[in-house]
Amino acid sequence: MEGNLMKIMGLGNASREHAIAEALERSDHHPRIFWLGDIRNPGIFNICKKSGGDFALSKTTDPEKVVEYAKRWCVDFVIIGPEEPNFHAVPDELERKGIPCVGASRDVAIIEMSKAEMRRLQWEYGMSGKLLFKTFRSSKEAYSVLEKYSDTLTWLQNVALKPARQAGGKGVKVVEDQQLYLHDEKQRFKSKHADWLEGYMKSYSDIEDKILVEEKVWGPEYTLQCFTDGRCIKGMPLVQDNKHAHEFDIGTETGGMGSICGSGFTLPFITKKEYEESLKIVNSLVRAIQDKVGKRYHGMVAGQMMLTEIEGPTIIEMYSRLGDPEALNVLNTLKTDFVDICLAILDGNLSKLNVEFDKRSTVVKAIAPKGYPNNRKLAKNHPVFVDEQAIKRGGCKFYWGSADLNEGGEILSAGSRLVEILAISDEITKASKIIDRCVPYIKLLDGWGLFYRSDIGSPELMCKRMDVADRVRMLYQYRRDKGILGKRIDWLPKVGKMDPVALLRDELSKKSE
Amino acid sequence: MAGIFGFYAFGDERVNWDSSKFIYYGLSALQGRGQESTSLVIYTHHDNTEPLRWISGEGLVDEVFGKIKQDYMKGFLGIGQVSAEKRDYAIKVEKPIELALVGDGKPALHDNRQKSFQIFAEMLSKKISELRDPLEATKTLIREVGGGYSFITLTKDEKMICGRDIQGIKPLEVGAIGFDIGAVASESSALDVIGAEQSGFVKPGETVMFDPLSIEKRHIKNKTAYCSFEYVYLARLDSYLNSISVSNVRDMIGQRLSEENPVKAEVVIGVPNTAIPFSMSYSKNSGIPVKYGFTRTGRHVRSAIKPSQFDRIVGVQLKLNPIRTSVDGKEIILIDDSVVRGNTLRSTVYNLKRKGAKKVHVRIGSPPLISRCPFGTEVPPEDELIGKALSNDEIAEIIGADSFAYLSIDGLCESIGLPESSLCLGCFTGKYPERPT
Repeated sequence: MEGNLMKIMGLGNASREHAIAEALERSDHHPRIFWLGDIRNPGIFNICKKSGGDFALSKTTDPEKVVEYAKRWCVDFVIIGPEEPNFHAVPDELERKGIPCVGASRDVAIIEMSKAEMRRLQWEYGMSGKLLFKTFRSSKEAYSVLEKYSDTLTWLQNVALKPARQAGGKGVKVVEDQQLYLHDEKQRFKSKHADWLEGYMKSYSDIEDKILVEEKVWGPEYTLQCFTDGRCIKGMPLVQDNKHAHEFDIGTETGGMGSICGSGFTLPFITKKEYEESLKIVNSLVRAIQDKVGKRYHGMVAGQMMLTEIEGPTIIEMYSRLGDPEALNVLNTLKTDFVDICLAILDGNLSKLNVEFDKRSTVVKAIAPKGYPNNRKLAKNHPVFVDEQAIKRGGCKFYWGSADLNEGGEILSAGSRLVEILAISDEITKASKIIDRCVPYIKLLDGWGLFYRSDIGSPELMCKRMDVADRVRMLYQYRRDKGILGKRIDWLPKVGKMDPVALLRDELSKKSE
Repeated sequence: MAGIFGFYAFGDERVNWDSSKFIYYGLSALQGRGQESTSLVIYTHHDNTEPLRWISGEGLVDEVFGKIKQDYMKGFLGIGQVSAEKRDYAIKVEKPIELALVGDGKPALHDNRQKSFQIFAEMLSKKISELRDPLEATKTLIREVGGGYSFITLTKDEKMICGRDIQGIKPLEVGAIGFDIGAVASESSALDVIGAEQSGFVKPGETVMFDPLSIEKRHIKNKTAYCSFEYVYLARLDSYLNSISVSNVRDMIGQRLSEENPVKAEVVIGVPNTAIPFSMSYSKNSGIPVKYGFTRTGRHVRSAIKPSQFDRIVGVQLKLNPIRTSVDGKEIILIDDSVVRGNTLRSTVYNLKRKGAKKVHVRIGSPPLISRCPFGTEVPPEDELIGKALSNDEIAEIIGADSFAYLSIDGLCESIGLPESSLCLGCFTGKYPERPT
């Protein structure tokens, strides 16, 4: 391919996709960039125009439509940002029509789409870093199991209740039921949330399991994003996303309110060894799913992980794409030409490419209109003003997220995280402060409020993360030394000792028969 | 003095939480900060035209809560207070903005703690109505009003706003449960008890506002002066206040005591409960064995904050029955947390000698109390304070001890790990921190 003739098409419209478009634009191949989005992200739109490409509004989960545009624009390959096009077999359809695609095909993307299937795979292939789980098709079914041993401390007391399918990061509740005196309260909430999940999952017909119950774990979380061509896997620097909507780690789960990335490949609270182990786990999941479905995984994959007492590095969920905002951290320190990486993924020779990253720290903070994430209607349709020059002068980079550039040139908020701001520095805490100074340059012109988390990357929060990591590391290493890592055991009066691991294995082998 | 607690649930399913359960246990954990009155204000449901519901009564948390039907207290937001003063309840302001307010410490608006908070709450209501921005209104009020206080207020439109005075004299800690709940409390132990993860604290001069869509903070220029008495006596041993572990401070105090005024003896005994950790680290550092000296009768009564003299003596005698084999024929180092009037100690030393103690050397884990507390801690009038009136030798003579010594001011600051300039040491020095202007 001749450099200036290359045409690349991207899908999606969040800050992650803005960062992807920018990484493509930076390439020495100087590609012309084309894009499809459900809304017109102003940042992506501008990059397309500047590069001599084009932007079109289109449903990104409709394989026919995507193919139609790819053909119309005669693109050399397509890169997919978000997960839903993967779940809707967009990569599969593109390839069937002879258009290369950097993106996980539907069958391999199942590791993200079905949180239940991902766990089954882990257990079936005997990987480390897994959690006990149960799946249910109705809240009644779930409740009968949760209630069964409710007066005994089994693993079912402390659980995460999730939709069994990836559903836009919504509906995860973590209920730790350790205080007997608050048991009724917690139990009632669990049952109500199971009802809520059943209702919520009615809109997804592509999966049988509706409710997933997993054992609750605690520890520091981190995301390990990787490039893979299906043969080899290249890990990127670890990033930590902050899922809680509000300061002090309080409030509803969001897609991510901000992320930090340390210098080098690890975070200040994760060791090199834990990084290697995490990479091994993500790699084994990629190999397992390829083996299971007989298809090559080519694109991006990420493990959203946690250090846990019971397993050490543990998978919480998988992504079949880059994280948002995590993508911004890694793409901004990526030294290797991003287009070269895409080409290596497509050609299956990623192992020959040296993927390098700048060693500086990065912090990203998301800014969202009030109403996100629970009441997105309130967060929508507010005119936005951004002083991009001031942000630049302040030492930050700026990415459009859930923002729609309309025909009249006006930018309106679209209900989710509106923009993300990134700063690079030699220290996480410094980068965090630089961002805080730039936040006032973003405004909603009708006076509606915005919010963000000033505490992400603050010294206080870093201390807290270190403290949690130290405690959990001591515990899992002790278990490892004793040879009981991964072992669980429950005691039921009148029934006796119960090994939930053995029970789960039995259940899974019965199901597969 | 008081203990305050606030509970705030977020998200689509927030109405499924019953805050009163959590506040009940949170306040129970703070019971040591006040045992005379209990209050609870619940936000029942936004469909109600009068969503705020007040419950107040004299006595302990379980005495007051026990009388109320559970359904009456149900609601997904709420605040509560325990106080060391009688009939000291959550404050209600109806106009112009309806709000409920609980507070610890005392704003400098009136000599009386309750009246002071009443005025504070009325000013807040007025300011919110004037400025139409509750966060800015609260910030402005904190800037205007001196004193040492922390407070939590709940408004009719589902806002929970909390804050601390510019010097952060009174503590206020923040925690979280899962993806649903935020909580604030006078001490972190109250957060532990409801299963919340402690995630930080409200900073001096800071305002934090919880509303259904966000948590917002505002800062003003501040100058830290944390209450040192919290670390010596008021707070629970399992609490962190302002990111400082109370337990660590008390270990350090025991160590410092053994270094500042060493004395030869056979056994170290701590007065329950506060002085037990002092005695343990005193023992570790001095090499003199520590023993259990007393067994307690009845529930835990905080004798220093009991309102009447008679109650205090009863509290002491019920609390402390010496264990004879620990003391008989021995030279003893007796450690207590503080001396107010000297009555408790006199009675304790007498009882020890009756049980055969040969010598009793008294060591106090704090400097002499010589001055009032303008920030709402119930220190008796200065002419009742034995540390103000008498020298160490005189005190030893009166209480019947063989020697008597306090912890030094330096020793206290070093134990807390902060310089004198970052602490309020007013009750020990008579000098109160100056508010920044």
